[in-house]
Amino acid sequence: MKTIGVDVGGTFTDLVYCDLATGVLDIHKVSTTPDDPSRGVLQGVLELCRASGVSPSEIDHVFHGTTTATNAVLEHRGVTTGMITNDGFRDVLHIGRHQRVQHYSIRQELPWQDRPLVRRRHRKTVAGRLAPPSGEEIVPLDEDAVRAAALELKAEGVSSVAICFLFSYLNTAHEDRARAIVAEVMPDAFVTTSSFVAPQFREFERFTTAALAAFIGPKVREYIARLETALRDAGITGELRIMASNGGVATAGMVAEKPTLTLLSGLAAGVLGGAWIGDLIGRDRLITFDIGGTSADIGIIVDGTFAETDARSSSIAGFPLLSPMIDIHTIGAGGGSIAHLDRGGAFRVGPRSAGAVPGPAAYGRGGTEPTVTDANLVLGRLDADDFLGGGMKLDPEAARTAVAGIAADLGLSLEEAAEGILTVINANMANAIRSRTIQKGIDPRGFALVAFGGAGPLHGAEVAAMLGIAEVIVPPYPGITSAMGLLTTDVKYDATRTQFQISTAVDLDRLNADLDTMQADLATRFAADHIDAAATRFERGGDLRYVGQGYELRVPFPQGPLDAASLAGVWEAFHARHATEYGHAFRDSPIELVNVKVTGIGQIDKLTSLRPVTGGTLSGAVVRRAPCAFRADGSLGTFDTTFYDRRRLPAGERFSGPAIVLQSDSTTVIPPGASAIVEATGSILITLGGAE
Amino acid sequence: MTASIDPITAAVIHGALENIAIEMGHKLMRMSYSSIIRESEDFGTALTDAEGNQLCECKMSTPLQSGPIPGYIRGIHKALASRGETIRPGDVILHNDPYGGASHGPDIAFVVPIFIDDTLVAFSVTTAHHLDIGSATPGSAGIVEAVDAYAEGLQLKAIKVVEEGRPNRAVWQILRDNIRASALVVGDMEAQIKAAEIGATRFLELAGRYGIDTIRAAATELMDYSERLMRNAIRALPDGTWVAEGIYDGFSDDPDPRRRDLPIKVAVTVAGDEITVDLTGTAPQVSDRPINMPFEGTTDCAIWLTLRSILLDSAVYGDVPQNAGLTRPIKIIAPLGCIANPIFPAPTIARFTPGNAMADILMRALSQVVPEQVSAGVGNLHVVSFSGVRGGRHWVHMEILEGSYGGRFGMNGMDAVDTLYANTRNNPVEDVESHLPLRIDRYELRDDPAAAGEWRGGMGMIREFTFLSDGAFSVEGDGHRQRPWAFGGGEPGLPAALTLVHVDGTTETLPSKVAYHAARAGERVIAHGPNGGGYGNPFARDAQAVLGDVLDDLLDAATAAARYGVVIHDGAVDVAATDANRAPASVG
Repeated sequence: MKTIGVDVGGTFTDLVYCDLATGVLDIHKVSTTPDDPSRGVLQGVLELCRASGVSPSEIDHVFHGTTTATNAVLEHRGVTTGMITNDGFRDVLHIGRHQRVQHYSIRQELPWQDRPLVRRRHRKTVAGRLAPPSGEEIVPLDEDAVRAAALELKAEGVSSVAICFLFSYLNTAHEDRARAIVAEVMPDAFVTTSSFVAPQFREFERFTTAALAAFIGPKVREYIARLETALRDAGITGELRIMASNGGVATAGMVAEKPTLTLLSGLAAGVLGGAWIGDLIGRDRLITFDIGGTSADIGIIVDGTFAETDARSSSIAGFPLLSPMIDIHTIGAGGGSIAHLDRGGAFRVGPRSAGAVPGPAAYGRGGTEPTVTDANLVLGRLDADDFLGGGMKLDPEAARTAVAGIAADLGLSLEEAAEGILTVINANMANAIRSRTIQKGIDPRGFALVAFGGAGPLHGAEVAAMLGIAEVIVPPYPGITSAMGLLTTDVKYDATRTQFQISTAVDLDRLNADLDTMQADLATRFAADHIDAAATRFERGGDLRYVGQGYELRVPFPQGPLDAASLAGVWEAFHARHATEYGHAFRDSPIELVNVKVTGIGQIDKLTSLRPVTGGTLSGAVVRRAPCAFRADGSLGTFDTTFYDRRRLPAGERFSGPAIVLQSDSTTVIPPGASAIVEATGSILITLGGAE
Repeated sequence: MTASIDPITAAVIHGALENIAIEMGHKLMRMSYSSIIRESEDFGTALTDAEGNQLCECKMSTPLQSGPIPGYIRGIHKALASRGETIRPGDVILHNDPYGGASHGPDIAFVVPIFIDDTLVAFSVTTAHHLDIGSATPGSAGIVEAVDAYAEGLQLKAIKVVEEGRPNRAVWQILRDNIRASALVVGDMEAQIKAAEIGATRFLELAGRYGIDTIRAAATELMDYSERLMRNAIRALPDGTWVAEGIYDGFSDDPDPRRRDLPIKVAVTVAGDEITVDLTGTAPQVSDRPINMPFEGTTDCAIWLTLRSILLDSAVYGDVPQNAGLTRPIKIIAPLGCIANPIFPAPTIARFTPGNAMADILMRALSQVVPEQVSAGVGNLHVVSFSGVRGGRHWVHMEILEGSYGGRFGMNGMDAVDTLYANTRNNPVEDVESHLPLRIDRYELRDDPAAAGEWRGGMGMIREFTFLSDGAFSVEGDGHRQRPWAFGGGEPGLPAALTLVHVDGTTETLPSKVAYHAARAGERVIAHGPNGGGYGNPFARDAQAVLGDVLDDLLDAATAAARYGVVIHDGAVDVAATDANRAPASVG
């Protein structure tokens, strides 16, 4: 099995080729082509095939992480979208949750009012109403009105329609019928329903998710089709699979139907890549720590599985999104983050970033404000002549001048200020990790931090030290860990239904029937996607809360039909989860089963190992020794530091910090008191606190 | 007293403190039972120092909840001192005294004192609006006929619900016996205590890492920082005094003139880097109706929050920490005995709408100084309490409805949002109908056009409730008799309205305040939110924006021509006709 993983980023498109049978692995990088990313993808794939000596026709699968959907939302470049909804509810998308984004602001914008996904003129209402608890029809759907609305939308030039009715998660009949009518009137349009995209209660969130799907759907569908054609024309007949936000891959057909699945495509691959790297050396409690120029993305892996966001915590560009997603916490902290004194004179680093242009002062592209990269260079942690494998020269004088400016403002020495920049940005990152671990009842001290992305390995060890984490893992190719992550997962589809059942009176028949129907639907889907039934498995779970609460927690269900005994186990698991998450359980309270969920996993061949590292001697890998500044035991000092070339480092030989490891796509810092060893798999394992 | 601190450590500690308050809020919101906390987010969490100076607050908190927290602590200190009690490790203190720092009775604080080596160093505090506190009628909104503080429900003045680690069972029993829907309310109280305890634990961890003296120094620096920002912003204003006056409906159908059409007067004086807000001339307190605003907890917060939203607008300044430093340059004068500074036992439970009206009038005064930083008139809100008995148990549900903002310089007003010192969230229709015997038949922008202006006013909403079984409702709202003010040639907004539709189809126009009112199955309550005021000359509005409003059915073509001078034919602007229409006005 020969596979290629392609991850499209803002600046670079990263590629990995792997022959899964032999473990042969090659990497490649091309510039992203933002006007049409499929051009860069195709170019990269063909170049990589040539470099690896395989014919395009031999490639079995191309796995793809794409930002097409994400960018369309972030830049608000979707299609002209229409909506058909209930009479009396034309403005659900506009009023939202009636809350202002900021408490203390008169001049704020509200994304849903200032940048509507569907303009009011294209929101049509029709008679028809369903009611809880079972979705019974209390007003029949006015089919003539639906037809008239579709004709209006067509005349208005709308090319995509979301059909959104109240309580459709209980009964899809009205939405399904309306969809059929609209498809008849507008055969070329993208038509979706809120119950298809996200069958869960809370109308603003569900309608918005459907509107997002409609807003980006035609663009995503068109992009995938263009890429598939281009690959086929170039002789690649293997199937294209797309990374989904839930941490699995989906077929092109599935993504064309549910484009919101890909809104976190690129970020999800990073968590998978980090998880896989940790797993290779036997660690299953991991914090993935992916830092680029502008942001740090943090994921948590507990016992080998990543956390998923709960139903109420996902959003994009200020819009809520009901879609299963890996829980990834992103903060504005990266190499380009700017250090500054704000209007009140407080010292801050980020979230404003110098980006790629002008970039840090050291890039010599006109940037003058001090950034994290400049601070790293001033402290001697980056190699001015060998940044990004010599692909770029850094200007140490420009970095010093930029940092000297803020040092003067702060009344600190140059080195104190540079180290202060790192301390503050590292503390921001540590706080972000705390919010996803300690605040959720997880003690990070038993975890290993997987540091990747261009800047992750620069900061990983010091951030780990702030959290009491003892191990940091730096993958062999930190810069392309996301692309590798694409090759490590399975096909994964989710089904959800709202239940609203109370623990004191559960209708087991309904519950089991719903779960079975959902599983059967997923099995049908897998069959349509040519995934062998023998390779599929299904996991069941529910979103639970105490009766009266508004936030649910996910609890797994045992396999097979639920009975009184297994349900008792589910309630017990919920109490335990609540206690872990919030520090308290209300054991006397009845529990409400809000949603049930089935996840179907279609197992596929994947990357299982990396070629073992061979190689020379430690002394042979030394590039030079030079003084670098570190904070040790609370005070700033200068340390004689050894610089190594990663390509020449041998496996299995421990070396001590302070040390800096140089390679083409990243730089790894091993601070004083820490030591490191290259594992057989090629990852560097840093041990903090001088422990062996 | 406090050591100086380097800017880097200060930045690190500030981040850590903020992280703690956010965690407290996150957990409280997720653990709590009643929709007023979990959906409306009508809660606050904060850490303070031993004197009550705020160290950090949760960003999710509603401003009117976290703002008063320092006042609660001062109130608790005072009450305990007067009784000769001291705060000890392991205590948990309950407090809701509107004459001792609380914003009003339903906003109950749970306070966990934090000790290091037997010295009280800080407090971890959560506040939340509770569904019921044992008032004369169900719910904690719309108790508009309470005649004094005793009629409003339980008065809990620095009560130790846990004493040195031992729960005070008698107090808990009194709470359970005197509060409707007590399972829900007590559950929320437990969630509050747990969240406050988490804050205390995290603070001690932080103190262990940096030392309490360093944290104090960082806190001092943080307060100085906020103060500096506020003083800089005030200094940028010209010295002088600006006044504004508005009328608060009060009880508009009450025969007693002292209860209706109450003036609120605001005089803002800027002198250097300090600002004085003088409320002299504001109506005398209404001694037997609960629309009086506790000076500490409501009046002060309404003024602070309005000033900071205008002068340190977070859309421009980013997050500025809310703490005592921010309010040091601000002096508030409110004569004792006026509705903005009532005398005990004047009732206060329905102080929400007068406070919002006062905030709007303060903004009107400031519109003369910083016209590009304000909005035109903001429409007030309704808070509606629904209740009934089902299966022998009380159900109580509270809806905080929407107001809207006036137009702004370069921006239209925000439509159908919570306003000024309130910023709650609505209840999803699908949640309400799934759990309560209510149906919502309409929730969208109201039909009347927005107030015209170069930047139009925000639009109010219409929300229709139908009772599916017999029950009751009560309302505290305002703004039925006043049109939100216009700015710079714009058109004033439209008042709010409430209508009761009986089963036979006859309708009854309700005033903005409705005491407990029984309702039969099939009866409907229709709420109209107000439209905010217009900003600037409507004839200066971009003709394409006017066309957009017409295409969006927010405006009809005839109104577009009459109010904006924009002539629209066949879905397009008739430029020549529009120019001709607009010319005389723009010359004049």
